[in-house]
Amino acid sequence: MSPLARPKSEKRAVRRAGEAGRRVEYLSFVLAGEMYAVQIAHVAEILRPPPITEVPRAPSTVLGVISVRGKLVTVVDLRRRFRLPEASFDRKTRVLLADVGTGEQIGLLVDEVQQVWRLAAQEIEQSNVLGGEQPAHIAGIGRPSGGAAILILLDLRPILEST
Amino acid sequence: MVEGGGGRGEGGDKARDEFFSEAQELIDGLGRDLLGLDEALKKGEPEAELINDVFRAVHTLKGLSGLFGATRMAGLSHELEDVLDDLRLGRIELTSGVLDLLFQAVSLYGRLLSAETGAGSEPAQDVEQMLLALGQMSQRRRGGGAGVVSQYELDPGLLGVLTEYEEHRLRTNIQQGLNLYRIRVRFSLATIDSALDDLKAKARPHGEIITYLPTGSGADIDTIELEVLIASRATLEMLRTAIAGPNVAIEGVRRRSGPSAPPAVAATTPPPGEPRPATAESFASTPSVSLTGAPPARETSSFRAPEEGEEGRAGHAPSIVPVASGRSAGPGAAGPAAGKELSLRSVTQTVRVDIRKLDRLMTIVGELAIVRTAMANLTDRVRGRATDARELAIELARLSRTFERHLAQMQSGILEVRMVPLGQAFDKLARVVRQISREHGRDVNLVVTGAETEIDKLIVEELSDPLMHMIRNAIDHGIEPKDERLRVGKPPVGTIALNAFQKGNHVVIEVEDDGRGMDPRALLAAAVRRGVVTADESKDLTAREVLALVFMPGFTTKEVATDLSGRGVGLDVVRTNIGKLGGIVDIASDIGIGTKMTITLPITLAIINVLLVEIGARLFAVPLANVEEAIALDETQVRTIESREVLTVRGASLPICRLARLFGLAPAARERSRAFVVIAQVGNRRLGFVVDELVGQQDIVIKPLGKSLRTVRGFAGATELGDQRVALVIDVAALIEEVLMPGETRFLAAAEGGRA
Repeated sequence: MSPLARPKSEKRAVRRAGEAGRRVEYLSFVLAGEMYAVQIAHVAEILRPPPITEVPRAPSTVLGVISVRGKLVTVVDLRRRFRLPEASFDRKTRVLLADVGTGEQIGLLVDEVQQVWRLAAQEIEQSNVLGGEQPAHIAGIGRPSGGAAILILLDLRPILEST
Repeated sequence: MVEGGGGRGEGGDKARDEFFSEAQELIDGLGRDLLGLDEALKKGEPEAELINDVFRAVHTLKGLSGLFGATRMAGLSHELEDVLDDLRLGRIELTSGVLDLLFQAVSLYGRLLSAETGAGSEPAQDVEQMLLALGQMSQRRRGGGAGVVSQYELDPGLLGVLTEYEEHRLRTNIQQGLNLYRIRVRFSLATIDSALDDLKAKARPHGEIITYLPTGSGADIDTIELEVLIASRATLEMLRTAIAGPNVAIEGVRRRSGPSAPPAVAATTPPPGEPRPATAESFASTPSVSLTGAPPARETSSFRAPEEGEEGRAGHAPSIVPVASGRSAGPGAAGPAAGKELSLRSVTQTVRVDIRKLDRLMTIVGELAIVRTAMANLTDRVRGRATDARELAIELARLSRTFERHLAQMQSGILEVRMVPLGQAFDKLARVVRQISREHGRDVNLVVTGAETEIDKLIVEELSDPLMHMIRNAIDHGIEPKDERLRVGKPPVGTIALNAFQKGNHVVIEVEDDGRGMDPRALLAAAVRRGVVTADESKDLTAREVLALVFMPGFTTKEVATDLSGRGVGLDVVRTNIGKLGGIVDIASDIGIGTKMTITLPITLAIINVLLVEIGARLFAVPLANVEEAIALDETQVRTIESREVLTVRGASLPICRLARLFGLAPAARERSRAFVVIAQVGNRRLGFVVDELVGQQDIVIKPLGKSLRTVRGFAGATELGDQRVALVIDVAALIEEVLMPGETRFLAAAEGGRA
């Protein structure tokens, strides 16, 4: 299945928020020096990385499995997923427990979790400002007003479904 | 079941759950009774009591479904009740055709019930058809029969007071060629109750008491004389010996001479002792609803070979459940449900538990509570003052041992509660066999052994459907038509044996048929034609690997589907499902003799004992159920044969597999001077896994890996070891298959291996 064929829930949500004049909450995190953000509604929990058990023969983006209160969770290394250089764990490393309603929670390894942003529609640019076809997981660019921050807004669904 | 006091009323969900499980049990029971009836019918002795049981079950279902607003089910029960009442009273005759309809009603019940639970849609149209068929049947009530009774010299006064039911029983017994006897017996009024019961008990093994009436003659004030009418196969002499007594007089009821009354239903009255001919034809005009669906032209399976074969026909002590004969189930057999997949899975996950088992568990909980109190006391003491640490350690160790013991008891107690007899699945299968064999016009006996073998409830549920596919496959492709069987000198009725037995920590289930078997050459040709294997690969396959081709996903393709059947579910799905349960399927076949498929399964899924091993500085768990022994690896005993490493253990060859290499794990940092071999066995395949270190044993609860890792083969799941560390549990069955049958898994991987 092509991830492009799937509904872009994130983009819809962004549009909806714009129409209603409401703001959508995003959680931002750092990955190889860049700032990314995901809808906070899709993050169930933020964990300090527990011991991760590597799974032989798993897809290369899968770091391994962890146990969260007795449930096994697959952890995906977002650096590997986005083809960024690998980094070692430090005290800021976190696992985001992502849940987009697919029936499975997936852990996403990130360098550092930053803050929550409440973005209005006019603060979000469509992903096509980057030109051409963008990967399905890029939902848009967030430019919170009154600051120089640039957030790469992620749609988690394609990431979770292709793992 | 434990009767819950506050079932209904408090929380509709709980009440509904109880409704589901009770209805499910009734439906299962109905199926069993119908099979019994079918068997009895073939012997020519329809059992009145069984019809009564069926009637009662349907009646209960009617009440139950009415109560819970399951209107379709109630409606169906109502019509069914009418028909069964007619059957009971002999207004209509029990034939295979009628039984077909009843069997269909049972599977319809099953579908209605799953619709009620929200799984699947209501088979509204099928219910309508069934109601129509039942209605028509009621109208076919048989008027005749009274004629046979009049052949006997029976007192018209007596006949006049018989109830409709008694009259029916009398008629039936006469039609079956039983003899009628009149017993005059005098009872003392004081003891008549017990004496009459006594007489009934004595007479029961010899025949059926139809009625008893006071004669009104020869009685003094303290005694009463009864005339008992009894139908029996026994001779007068035998009966006299059996029911002898001081006040008992027995005489035969004579037949009137001459054929004064023509036998009304002579066609259905075979001489006693002979099997009754199948009377499906008598119902041929009744439209019947096919509930499983697929028209015979499309067939399940993956293999077909003009001739096929099998091995190892072990002798069993069979309990025979004869299953239908006769041609297909009449016109309109392919109803609107055609093509719909029938599942045998129960709609409920309920386990019936013997209250004593729960009591034992409760006792253990009590013991554990005591341990907890002791621990609390100890904690207080430590908090209070400085206690001698040594003394404390001793006491803690003692407590810990007690705790451990009770925990182990608790664990095995709960496991025991989860265990149910395999018969739960087998009963349903017998029904399916009857139905399929009638659809296909094949005579098949299902011979079941080991139905009492216990296995985890969850496994039983998951087993029903794979077993159904295997049996369907055996009937479709294994058992030959009658004339072909006769030609090759086989008994006309085919046999499918379903054998279950426990073997260590495993349960083995065999599905064996005495059909035409599978021809490896034909299989291979078909596989090459369909691109499942290349011509080159096909040369390397062993005979066993060739047979295993029937489990390949690609093996059911369109080219064959015209020739064979296809419900869209082939044997590959069977293997995938069995694999999910941690089991494996083996196949053996001899051309012309038959085919045997063997399923080997763990007894339970819940808690397993594992051997923890270290590979490349990582911990893995190997289920001990699969481990034979673990030995130190002696590298000098390793030889490479046909690019496969083989270790000589006590003079015998054992293929080995270096797990670090298989898993692509970097070796541990420090140099290892030694390694170990964990010898594992599943079914009759053995393999040695080479590991770096043996760490120890542990009881673990196995958890499935997430959906995102479903394509990863070789792991049954993972477990938390405490301190948040997770160890992967090795799927021994999958790895053995992968390593020992590389050809096979190569194809599997290409077709996206389905082991979750």
